[in-house]
Amino acid sequence: MTDVMGSGAISYTPAIIADQLISGLNTDQSQQATLEEQLSTGVTINQASDNPAGAAQLLQLNGSLARAQQYASNATDGTGWLSLGNSTMNQILSSLQSVQQTVLSVSGASLSNEPGALQSLAAQVTAAQQELTNLANTTYGGQAIFAGTGNVSQAYDSSGNYVGGGSAPTRTVAPGVQVPVAVTGQQIFGSGSTGVLGTGGILAQIVQDLQTGTTASLNNLQTNDAQALTTAITQVTTVAAQMGSDYQRMQTFAQQASSAQQTLQSEVSGIDSTNVAQVSTQLTEAQQAYQASLWATSQLSQESLVQFLS
Amino acid sequence: MGDLALGIAASGLDAQQTAMDTISENLTNANTPGYVAESAQLSTNPGGDLLGVGDGVRVDGVTQNSDGLLATNALQTQGVLSQSTALQQILQGAQSAFPVSGSSGIASDLSSFWQSWDAISQDPSNPAPRTQVVDLAQNLVSDFQQASQQLSNLQVNAQSQVSTSVTQVNSILKQVATLNGEIGATEGGGSPANSLIDQQNQLMGELATSIGAVAVPQADGTVNVDVGGVTLVQGTWSDTVVTTGGAGAMKLVAHASGTTIPTSAGSVAGQLAAINQYLPAYQSQLDTAANDLASTVNTQLAAGYTATGASGAGYPLFEGTGAAGISVNPAITGNVQLIAASSTAAVPDATNDAGNAQAMAELYNSPTGPDQQYQSLIQGLGTQVAAVNSQVQAQTSVANAAQENLQSIEGVNTNDEMVQMLTFQQAYQASAKLVSTVDTMMQALIQAS
Repeated sequence: MTDVMGSGAISYTPAIIADQLISGLNTDQSQQATLEEQLSTGVTINQASDNPAGAAQLLQLNGSLARAQQYASNATDGTGWLSLGNSTMNQILSSLQSVQQTVLSVSGASLSNEPGALQSLAAQVTAAQQELTNLANTTYGGQAIFAGTGNVSQAYDSSGNYVGGGSAPTRTVAPGVQVPVAVTGQQIFGSGSTGVLGTGGILAQIVQDLQTGTTASLNNLQTNDAQALTTAITQVTTVAAQMGSDYQRMQTFAQQASSAQQTLQSEVSGIDSTNVAQVSTQLTEAQQAYQASLWATSQLSQESLVQFLS
Repeated sequence: MGDLALGIAASGLDAQQTAMDTISENLTNANTPGYVAESAQLSTNPGGDLLGVGDGVRVDGVTQNSDGLLATNALQTQGVLSQSTALQQILQGAQSAFPVSGSSGIASDLSSFWQSWDAISQDPSNPAPRTQVVDLAQNLVSDFQQASQQLSNLQVNAQSQVSTSVTQVNSILKQVATLNGEIGATEGGGSPANSLIDQQNQLMGELATSIGAVAVPQADGTVNVDVGGVTLVQGTWSDTVVTTGGAGAMKLVAHASGTTIPTSAGSVAGQLAAINQYLPAYQSQLDTAANDLASTVNTQLAAGYTATGASGAGYPLFEGTGAAGISVNPAITGNVQLIAASSTAAVPDATNDAGNAQAMAELYNSPTGPDQQYQSLIQGLGTQVAAVNSQVQAQTSVANAAQENLQSIEGVNTNDEMVQMLTFQQAYQASAKLVSTVDTMMQALIQAS
């Protein structure tokens, strides 16, 4: 056997050519498989090894994205509470204002001799008291919104006593930010003799003074009771304003959370999404290379000196 | 004249015949693994007449076109490649236990788990969101257990692959020693042992691929087998290889000498690296992530109160340690009101307060929590798989090149053989022609006399 190794060139035996073709085919095929996986899954990081740093970043971004979605969900839930809370506060206010009208309409001189009229006014106030208790027990998704964290189903019992808990529930709407989604019944209505509801409360005294119907009791109605009612209405107005501002904060945070979601989503896409145009082009190139390799393999050693010797 | 010419022609016929036999042998073994192409070594026959015509041609022998340096290089590169390939297979298996997609796997289930705590805060007295927390905790537990199980399976499989390889290696070592004996006897008797050497080559190829063995050729035609400086075959003596130790400490030991065999090439080396180094490291990182999950959640729970105002310290959500041992506290599974979601012990507020659950939800991605531990596991694993992938790619081309270099010397080139065949055929025909010419000349002489 003579060889040409002295000149540094390789003598290509059929076995070498076959090995090279096979290795070429394998490379082309695995490249195609990678590109096809990227196209079919739509993502470029299918295993951690595709882009290790990107994979870790992706996991973190997905975690933050899930958190932002939860913030948005919390804010939406809170908006629902506060929206119902605000409309309820408006009804409470108008109900109290009608009681105030009633109180102001009583003129001691003209009504002290008309017990029937006073009784009917007392009945109006009692009805208002009942209505306010019902409003105070307004529920959102089965939860009494003015009951604080203490009681699920009701804030006030049938005699108007507060049975809720000490503080209003909150929702987490941004890292470290918790916004109250309601107020407690006590914040709205107060408690004891300066409270609106309950035995011994302002409305109960108004009813009692109307029912008593004496000049002294009607005087008390027009001075002390009217004063206490005005104070209570001011308090309700203040709380309503606070809930209104909470509602606006909640909406702002809801928007923030949803824009944070979009930002995070686009970051995730930036790391992980397949550039379809680019990958399709690469795939076409890989397929052409593969076809060329296949053609070359089909030509493997078809010709050798053997064919020309007879 | 006549005798001499006929004698020379006859030696030519013999020599060309032997050369043709060699070509025939080469062509039929063109695809035989371990076969080294042969060539007939022709030289002029000494002697002849006084004028110095010579005494024809003779065949000195049929030698193999071997190249020791290229052969060693090819074996070594092949050994390094099979080490990386074996490691690659195991690491890719490990990687598949840790998906990075946004919708499945430990990372995604951790996200859902943390967020489910905020669902409690939206309706604290409702058992449904609490049950969901427990379900998601159960999900995480089975994620961790599955991943851990997958790593254990890889460990067990790798160990059994090593055992299988070692059994094969021991049988090959014995065969090499036996062949050494036969080669020594054949070559000692003066005849070449080409076909025995071909078998030897093939066995050495298998040894290089499995444990990175190197053949050390000896003057008498035999080879010693050396792995990492430990001699396993010397002449007709052969040692056996045994494995000792388990995960983290598995190694190969030469049975007779008791010496530890350092493995730096061959599939067994890759498998041992996975058994001793990579798989235990992943397992321990996974265990850390599981422990971080348990401690983060249980610590936060201990700061809160159950629906009845009892301290959460007595009601951890996770029990057990390690990815395989972690489980959900059956007491909580049985009564979800025992989840310490409240931040106040006061009753009845504790039933309807979710301050502690809200604090729990904010612990997602905590620096001491399971998320970051898991992320660093993924990044480390991904980096190692990517590294071994590119090693395999590079080493494949190196091994292919070494194999091609060796093949170009030791392999059979059909075209070359064909050209040689024509040359020897023509020489044979010429010698035959000479015989008939001498015959014609003799006839002429006889008729003339």
